[in-house]
Amino acid sequence: MNKDMTRKPGEVFFALFLSLVSLGAVWKAYGIAGFEALSSPGAFPMTVSAIMVISSLIIAVKTLRAKPAQDTSFFKDILPPAAAMMTVFILLYAIALKPLGFLPTSQLFLFVSVLVLSRRGVWFSAWVSVLCLATVYVIFRLVFSVLMPEGVVPEREIIAFFANLFGGEK
Amino acid sequence: MLEALQYFTTSWFDPSLLLLVALGTFAGIYVGAIPGLSVTMAVSILISFTFSWEVHSALCLIVGIYMGGVYGGSRTAILLNIPGAPSAIATAFDGYPLAQKGQAGEAIGVSTVMSAVGGFLGIFVLAVAAPLVSEFALTFQPRDYMLLAILGILLVGSLSGESLVKGIFAGALGLLIGSVGLDPLTAQERFTFGVVELWGGISFIAVMIGMFGVAEALIQLRHIDKTAVKQKIGRIIPSWAAVRKYLPLSLQTSSIGVIIGALPGTGGDIAALMAYDHAKRVTKNPEVPFGEGAKEGLVAPETANNAAVGGAFIPMITLGIPGDAVTAIIIGALYIHGLNPGPMLMIDQPDMFWFIVGALVLANIFMLIFGLTGIRIFVKIVELPRAMLIPLILMLSIVGAFAVNNSITDVYWMLGFGVLGYFMKLYGYQVGPVILGVILSRLIDENWRRAIISERESLWDLFMGIVTSPLSLVLFIAVVLIFVSQTPLWVRMKRRIFATDKEAQE
Repeated sequence: MNKDMTRKPGEVFFALFLSLVSLGAVWKAYGIAGFEALSSPGAFPMTVSAIMVISSLIIAVKTLRAKPAQDTSFFKDILPPAAAMMTVFILLYAIALKPLGFLPTSQLFLFVSVLVLSRRGVWFSAWVSVLCLATVYVIFRLVFSVLMPEGVVPEREIIAFFANLFGGEK
Repeated sequence: MLEALQYFTTSWFDPSLLLLVALGTFAGIYVGAIPGLSVTMAVSILISFTFSWEVHSALCLIVGIYMGGVYGGSRTAILLNIPGAPSAIATAFDGYPLAQKGQAGEAIGVSTVMSAVGGFLGIFVLAVAAPLVSEFALTFQPRDYMLLAILGILLVGSLSGESLVKGIFAGALGLLIGSVGLDPLTAQERFTFGVVELWGGISFIAVMIGMFGVAEALIQLRHIDKTAVKQKIGRIIPSWAAVRKYLPLSLQTSSIGVIIGALPGTGGDIAALMAYDHAKRVTKNPEVPFGEGAKEGLVAPETANNAAVGGAFIPMITLGIPGDAVTAIIIGALYIHGLNPGPMLMIDQPDMFWFIVGALVLANIFMLIFGLTGIRIFVKIVELPRAMLIPLILMLSIVGAFAVNNSITDVYWMLGFGVLGYFMKLYGYQVGPVILGVILSRLIDENWRRAIISERESLWDLFMGIVTSPLSLVLFIAVVLIFVSQTPLWVRMKRRIFATDKEAQE
C-alpha cells in the first residue's frame, strides 16, 4: 500500500506468530467435521480460521516488505521495562491469589507496584496501597458483596465478629 | 401505555436503583474523564462485579456508566486538551482554546447542558423507534441477521484502525474465540483439545477485561510520567440565553448523533466528528472562529456523542447487534443476566425495554447534576498519578475476572488476552472487532446454518435468496462496498471524483 510504510521492532515476529496460530486453527477446525456439509459444526470455524490465515498472511507479507523503523528498539518502544515488569507482577499476583487470599496478595501487589512505578519511597507506597485496598475492599467486598478467595486471612470470621459487635448494640 | 409508564419509572422511585444509576453515572464521568481510562474499560471491569446481581440493579449501573462515560471525556478535553475518550476528540478543538482564554467553567457548563440535550433527544428517538424497528426486524431472515452481524464487525474493523486487513483478522479471531466449546446445536467439541473446562467456551468476560482492562493499563505504563496542567475555573452554569441560542444547532447535531449511533459499527466518536464538521458548515458567522474557541464547536460534538448513546441502544436491543465495543460488552452483560436482545425482547419483555429507557433518562439527569458540580474535586482526581492508578486497574481486572465464575482459569485467560491485546494495539490491530466477534460468533454460526439448511445446502439458492430480497440485497451490497472501498481502484476513483468537485467549485 504505502511506500513509506515502516514496521516496528518485533512486528514481523508477531505477524508470523499470528499466521502460525491461524494455520493451527484451520487444521483443528478441519478436524471437527471435515468437508462433511455446509451446515456441519465445523463449517463456521473452518471459514473463520481460513479468513484468519488469509488475512494474517497478507499482513505478514506487507510487514516483511515494510522498512524497519529507525531509532526504535523492542525493549524501549514496544515492551519497556515497566510494562514487562508489571506483566510479571500480575502473573505472580494471579498465581498467589488463591493460596494466599485476596487481602495479603493485593496488599503486596499494590505496595510493590506503587513503590516501583512512583519511585517515591516506602512510606508513600505503603500509605497509598493501604488506602487503595481499603477503598476497594469496602466498595466491592462489603457493599457489592463480591466473593474473593480468602486464603490465610479468616475474613468471614472477622466480618462476622464486627457484624455481631454492631448487631449487639442495637 | 400505562404499563409502559410504570416500567419506565421503576428506577425513579426505588431508592436503591436510583442510587445505583447515580453511582454509575458518577463513576462513568470520572473514569471517562481520566485520559487512558476508557468507558469500555470501565464497563468491562465493572460488569464482572454485577454478575451475581439482580438484573435491574446491574442494568442501572451499566446504563449510568455508559452515559456518564461518554460525557466525561469532554472535561479533560476542555481542561487539559487530552480527550478522556475518543468521543471527546472533537470537543478539544474548541474546548481547550476556551479554557486557555480563562473560560473553562463556561465551556464545561455549555458542554454539560448540551450533552444532556443530546442525550434526551437520543433517548426519545430510542423510545419511539425501537418498537418500530423490532417489529420490522421480525421479518428478518436468518441470512439477514448473518449479513448484519458481519457488516457490524467489518464496519468496526474498517473505521477504527489503520488497515482493514488487520480489522478483518481481529474480527475473525473474535469469531474463532467465540466458537470454542461445545457446538450449541450438535454438542460436538470444537477447539477444546479434550479439556473439559473448555466445553463451556472461553469466558467472554475474560477476553473483554484482558483486552480493554489489562492491555490498556499496560499501554498506559508507557506514558507514566506525563502530568496534568492546571486551569482556572469560573462560572459554570450557562445562562438561559446561551442555551437558547445554541438550541437550533444542538437539535441538528443531536439528529446526526442518533442516526450515526444507530448504524452498526459507528458510535459516539464518529458522530462527534461529523457533527463538528456539520456545525462548521452551517454556522456562517461564528463570534469566534472555529478552532479558536467557538462555542458552536463545543455544542456540536457534545450533543452528538450523547445522542449517539440512545441511537446505539436501538440496534442493540431490537436486533441484538452491537454498534461498537461498549455496546458489545453491554450485550454480553445482558446475556449473562438471562436477557436475549433481539426482536423478541420487545415482545417477551417490554418491561425491560422501558426500564432501560427510564434508567437512561435518569442517568442523563444525573449527568447534568454531576456535570455542573464538583469541578474542583474533579481536577484533583484527574491529577491522580498513574503510578497509583495502573496497579489499581490491574488489581480490579484480576478480581473482576475471578469474581464472575470464581475461577482462577478465567484469570489466566484474561492475562493471556491482556498480553495479546497489548501487542495487537501496539502493532496497529484493532481490538474492538475481537469483542464484537466473540459476542456475535454464535449468532452468525447459528443463522448461517439455519440459512443454508433452509436452502437445502445449496450456496447458489442462498445467493439467489439474497439477491431477490431487497433487505438482504442492501446488506449484501454494504458488505461488498466495505471491501471495494479499500481497493486501490476505489481510492483512485474517489480522488478523481473529489478533484472534479473542487474544480467545479472553483
